[in-house]
Amino acid sequence: MKSLRTGALLLSPLLFVLLAAFVVPLLLLVPTSFQEYRPGQGIATDVWTLQNFVRIGADEFYREVVLRTIGLGIAVTLSCLLLGYPVAYLIVRGNPRWRLPLTLLVIFPLMLNLVVRSFGWIVLLTNRGVVNNLLIDIGLIERPLRLMFNMTGLMIGLTHIYLPFMVLMLVAALQNVPRDVESAAATLGSSRFHIFRAVTLPLTAPGIISGSILVFVLTISALVTPRMLGGPTYQVMATLIYDEFMLLLDWPSGSALSFALAIATIFIIWISSRMTKRWAGLA
Amino acid sequence: MNEQRPGLTISSVALLVVLFLQIPVIVVMLASFSETSYLTIPPQGWTLKWFEAVLTDRTYIDAIKNSLILAVGSTTISLVLGVAASYAIFRKLVPGSEALTSLLMAPLIIPSVVIGVALLQYFTLVGMRGSFWVLLIAHVVITVPYIVRSALASLSGIDLAVEEAARVLGANGFTTFRLVTLPLIKPGLVAGALFSFVTSMENVPVTIFLAGPRDTTLPILIFTSVEMGVNPSVAAVSTLLIIATAIVLLAAERWTGFHRFV
Repeated sequence: MKSLRTGALLLSPLLFVLLAAFVVPLLLLVPTSFQEYRPGQGIATDVWTLQNFVRIGADEFYREVVLRTIGLGIAVTLSCLLLGYPVAYLIVRGNPRWRLPLTLLVIFPLMLNLVVRSFGWIVLLTNRGVVNNLLIDIGLIERPLRLMFNMTGLMIGLTHIYLPFMVLMLVAALQNVPRDVESAAATLGSSRFHIFRAVTLPLTAPGIISGSILVFVLTISALVTPRMLGGPTYQVMATLIYDEFMLLLDWPSGSALSFALAIATIFIIWISSRMTKRWAGLA
Repeated sequence: MNEQRPGLTISSVALLVVLFLQIPVIVVMLASFSETSYLTIPPQGWTLKWFEAVLTDRTYIDAIKNSLILAVGSTTISLVLGVAASYAIFRKLVPGSEALTSLLMAPLIIPSVVIGVALLQYFTLVGMRGSFWVLLIAHVVITVPYIVRSALASLSGIDLAVEEAARVLGANGFTTFRLVTLPLIKPGLVAGALFSFVTSMENVPVTIFLAGPRDTTLPILIFTSVEMGVNPSVAAVSTLLIIATAIVLLAAERWTGFHRFV
């Protein structure tokens, strides 16, 4: 068949690149995750062990890092949702003349280099940074607050980084809410808050869910912002993977942790896509 | 109707949040023009010396050059390979289009740091670690989903009858694609290419595992130099990036109505 040949010809270059530089490398990480790392000697290839996976749940340090990563994911998702909803609402329901400038102001940080955005937060949050200086100058505090290398810094930075994604998802969801339904509720005497709670919020639930999934998944796999604002000691999963490969050279542990992270991500995305499909079926 | 407009409270909260989104940008720009090496509010003294330091520093110039070569190169390759593959999938020239689409989009779902370590191990095994070509291929892998996504979305919006008309009038497959299909999907592709370019320009989690010492990119340079402490020349190079981003975003908005594609 001629079309099949054309199709294979069109697809094969990209498929070759993806197989050679994506699929095979990922598969080759699987055996590594079952091998043993012996400090000072390197990776022992003759033994197979589940130790690297067991450690993620059993070892106190690993458990703390995993729980911190999940906690951070949840906290950042919630704060993005709380901060993002009013912005999306203003973009969709506000004065139409504001829509384009507001949208561009939301997209702009998204297009801006992640490293630059994280650097901006360092300038703001470091011990002698803008925020601390300002607070000391107006006499609210005497000694600088610790805003970096802890949960506070990561929360602020990651919320800022992923907020635009949430806003864009919510904008799409709000645009699908028919105004008639809201005006009908208003005509029937509902208060503005009641309309929001009983009409707008449930109708935007799919957008809330997909935005939350996106932000959560991005947060738990973030490397750059957690390292820049958390430093080398306040670890999350991605920064720990980085250290295990680049500093500790414990590739087996790092591979196991990588799979834990990747499988969690794929699982969450799979569940959410099933959920949204089911919802779409019901509606 | 008046009830449907957001009230004053919601509007002011929303505007404060939009301001919050710009704060790091504003702060970085102020820091880059500020005389002192630590930014104070209000800044004390204005200077262009940090910009001079950046523009005369070989490391920065090389990193900027590497980043641009990598971003332009990987976006071009991704465009050619990605549009070809998307067209084959869209026209259902091969079976299994859904599985193929998932495969092409997979690099977007797997955490970048995991792709990074997988490629680090793989290219160490085959003995190609530190080569510029490895970095280029890796950037194609992480940027191609954006091209495929925008190509498939744009292709699904065009009327197949237009292509058939061209074929009936005697154009061959490639001519039809070049003169009819391509112009129709161009705005979407421009947006996809912009995403791809930005993704390559800002990537750290994959690049940092693969870049040889001579291939350091701008984000890697900023990322590693920040570990030594806040340095105003980082602020200056960041300001240059901020201005470049703003110009590109506004230009893309003018040409293609970019915000529709985000």
